[in-house]
Amino acid sequence: MTSGNKLAGPLTGLRVLELTSEHAQFCGKLMADLGADVIKVEPPGGQETRNVGPFLEDEAHPERSLYFWHYNTSKRGVTLDLNLPDGQDIFRKLSATAGLVLESFPAGYLSDLGLGYESLAKDNPGLIMCSVTPFGQDGPWRDYQTSDLLHLAAGGQMASSGYDVEDIPDAPPIAPGGGNAWHIVSHYSYIAIMGALYHRDFTGEGQYIDVSVHEACSLTTEGAIAIYLSTGEVVRRHTGRHASADMSPGIQHATNDGGYINTTRSGSNLTPARIKVLGEWMDGYGLAQDLLDEKYQDPAVVEVSGQHFADVLKNFFANMPLVEAYEGGQELNFPWGAIRTMEEIMGDPHLQDRDFFVPVEHPELGREFIYPGPAAIYNASPWSISRRAPLIGEHNQEIFGDELGLPQADLEGLKSSGVI
Amino acid sequence: MQADGSETPKRRKDRPLEGVRVVDFTWVRAGPWAARWLATLGAEVIKVEWPENMDMLRQNRFTVPPGVEPGPNSTGQFADTNAGKLGLSINVRHPKGLEAIKSLVSVSDVVIENFSSRIMTRWGLGYDELTKLRPDVVYVSMAGFGQTGRQHYFGTMGPAAQALSGLTHQSGLPGQQPAGWGWSYLDDTGGMYGAMCTLTALRHRNQTGQGQHVDLSQMITGITLTGAAFLDKSINSRESRREGYPPGNRTVWPGAPVVHNYRGPIAAPHNAFRTQQTHDGGYNDWCVIACLSDEEWTSLVGLMGGPDWAKASKYVTLEGRLEHQNEMDQGIEQWTKTIGKYDLADKCQAAGVRAMPVQSSEDRIENDPQLRHRGMFTKVNHPMLGDWKFQGAPFRLDGAKVAVKGPPPMIGEHTTKIMGDLLGVSSYELLQGYEDGVYWPETTPKFPYVQQAIDEEAKR
Repeated sequence: MTSGNKLAGPLTGLRVLELTSEHAQFCGKLMADLGADVIKVEPPGGQETRNVGPFLEDEAHPERSLYFWHYNTSKRGVTLDLNLPDGQDIFRKLSATAGLVLESFPAGYLSDLGLGYESLAKDNPGLIMCSVTPFGQDGPWRDYQTSDLLHLAAGGQMASSGYDVEDIPDAPPIAPGGGNAWHIVSHYSYIAIMGALYHRDFTGEGQYIDVSVHEACSLTTEGAIAIYLSTGEVVRRHTGRHASADMSPGIQHATNDGGYINTTRSGSNLTPARIKVLGEWMDGYGLAQDLLDEKYQDPAVVEVSGQHFADVLKNFFANMPLVEAYEGGQELNFPWGAIRTMEEIMGDPHLQDRDFFVPVEHPELGREFIYPGPAAIYNASPWSISRRAPLIGEHNQEIFGDELGLPQADLEGLKSSGVI
Repeated sequence: MQADGSETPKRRKDRPLEGVRVVDFTWVRAGPWAARWLATLGAEVIKVEWPENMDMLRQNRFTVPPGVEPGPNSTGQFADTNAGKLGLSINVRHPKGLEAIKSLVSVSDVVIENFSSRIMTRWGLGYDELTKLRPDVVYVSMAGFGQTGRQHYFGTMGPAAQALSGLTHQSGLPGQQPAGWGWSYLDDTGGMYGAMCTLTALRHRNQTGQGQHVDLSQMITGITLTGAAFLDKSINSRESRREGYPPGNRTVWPGAPVVHNYRGPIAAPHNAFRTQQTHDGGYNDWCVIACLSDEEWTSLVGLMGGPDWAKASKYVTLEGRLEHQNEMDQGIEQWTKTIGKYDLADKCQAAGVRAMPVQSSEDRIENDPQLRHRGMFTKVNHPMLGDWKFQGAPFRLDGAKVAVKGPPPMIGEHTTKIMGDLLGVSSYELLQGYEDGVYWPETTPKFPYVQQAIDEEAKR
């Protein structure tokens, strides 16, 4: 629909049945954008994630959730009530055609319906099933109810994110926004699934994968675990930079147009030679202060002057607009980042060069919207959005009728009895 | 013959990539983390290094345990990030080193690198060059801005990439500068994508016989993670700089207009609360509570003992709770402050209320009953660090726990094995290479294990 590419995506030929809520729909989206035939199986009336905003023009409606739209591109959609015997029957037929079932029901739910891995694999030994649950299929917390916020607390994200006491004395640990617990587990699920596919490519055998959101989050705090294991110290939260056991100069500075720049680590790459480069550039604005002083050509002096450099930089940025500061630094090989909002990201020429802004057609609305596109360019099999998210039950006829071959009369009956 | 000594590739369910060989040119965090997962899944990952231009994590002095001699083989952070790989030290800028690397690539499935854009091409190791040796090679590049696009040469590390992607701006208290992420989230995540791209391209190769070049941008992976905010801007033209955004730990900041702030369903309470102090001034004595329905709120009120303030009608509906969030959250905290965070979470969960403790690194290693039950950490013996805890996989494959394959390599630890056993380089040529500065810098002192490997070759 939207892709001008003639090449097929790398996962072409893989059929996925996706029965996930917020937990792993992003994993399904990635596979769908990469060419898999992902069929989203929703309960009649649509999945609960359709009720999560933001909504098109702020009008709450299950077909207008931008949240749902983002996470369900390139998928097809059917509705099916798995609690009814006829629904289970159709699901079994459908799963016989699939390579992967991706699900995030509470542990044990599908097995209780007779739709567990053992049962489905009987007719389809190559089937892979991936279950994504808050804590995995066993353990003392198995049945605990969670949310994105709860996972970021238990997983360690919050203990590392927040503000220096000097900046805000009573700040709580902060859970970064955007639903990243679900992203993190979707990435690990994707990796596990690809490993299982590799195994199947050579042996024909499928398998069952048990993924834990909690474990995935707990793996995603970079150095915090290593620091504790090495030194017994628990990291402190620092504004805009790495949580660490020690204190370090600030790296996030305000610019004169209301923006902020992040310099990664103020001492980073600051050798005497780099100080000279920085000083000469800043001198052009009359803001180098003492950076061109001979004493900074001594590495030992540079080593102990981190706080001073941070202060000089802070003053410099306070007199510069954001983009000029950030791009100027990058041109001189300083790996700084502007803290961008969507205003700065939209239309970014570099992203345009990489065809990142993807127009996606919504034929039912007669409109086209811009979506975020691929993070990676595959030169032989592209990552690309092939269609907008499915409407509720949009492909019931196509999949149940045309592909599974259920007679038209049966479909009508299933519809009126609420199965589909 | 495999470099690790095994005879034929075999594939087990818990190590499905056995038989896959990866030439790993990556360093620091994102790239090595990608290749670490390929190793954990069973691939033979050969980490290519040169002691004169050492991986930054080998120099990380913050994670050398007390009593351990500092050095490139002694940092905890490098160890976990590179577990299960083999170590090859070789100078690719020496003609003989370049030749040897090319012959390694010709017997490998994957090349992965995270240098600044186009460095590998400058060294004569670009994709086009390597396809001459290995036409179906899967070649994954992980530069910050990618290999293409007008700013491809811009450099990033995690925090800068997060800032540029929009992720940083989503984290913090309204009216304050962003708190951002307290670690290189996009190094962890960029690593995930490096592994995902490799596995995806391997899948394509298995199906079609065709390799390819994957040009990944670490910074752009972050933009895809801000999808709801992106569409809210591109479709609804929502201003990112707005009152009450980002909303701290809440879904809507008190007093700000009720809009969706990309925190999932709008809910209240939805916050972090202080709990009974244990140690460290209560620095991590916090618990989060989220009530996603009126029923969950009613259960919380019951659990708190039904105090009069909480039974007030203004809190019965979500609208009321959003409007009176400050008062409500203060009331809840009066209660949570009297209970330890684990007890509190257990009590809440037993009553059907969503709550979890804020866990520090110490908590996850020492106190988390779930991670203990699932066997998240596995002790593996490491020559410098002793019995060291390594983080396992967050998934079980066919019921089997997936722990790391082994300790990380000491720098250059497997050079003679890889060159000799795998590539058939003679002992004579190997010794010559060491003398010429191909396998170890002439001016860098040799570690005992390096000297020992050389001595063994000399005896052959």
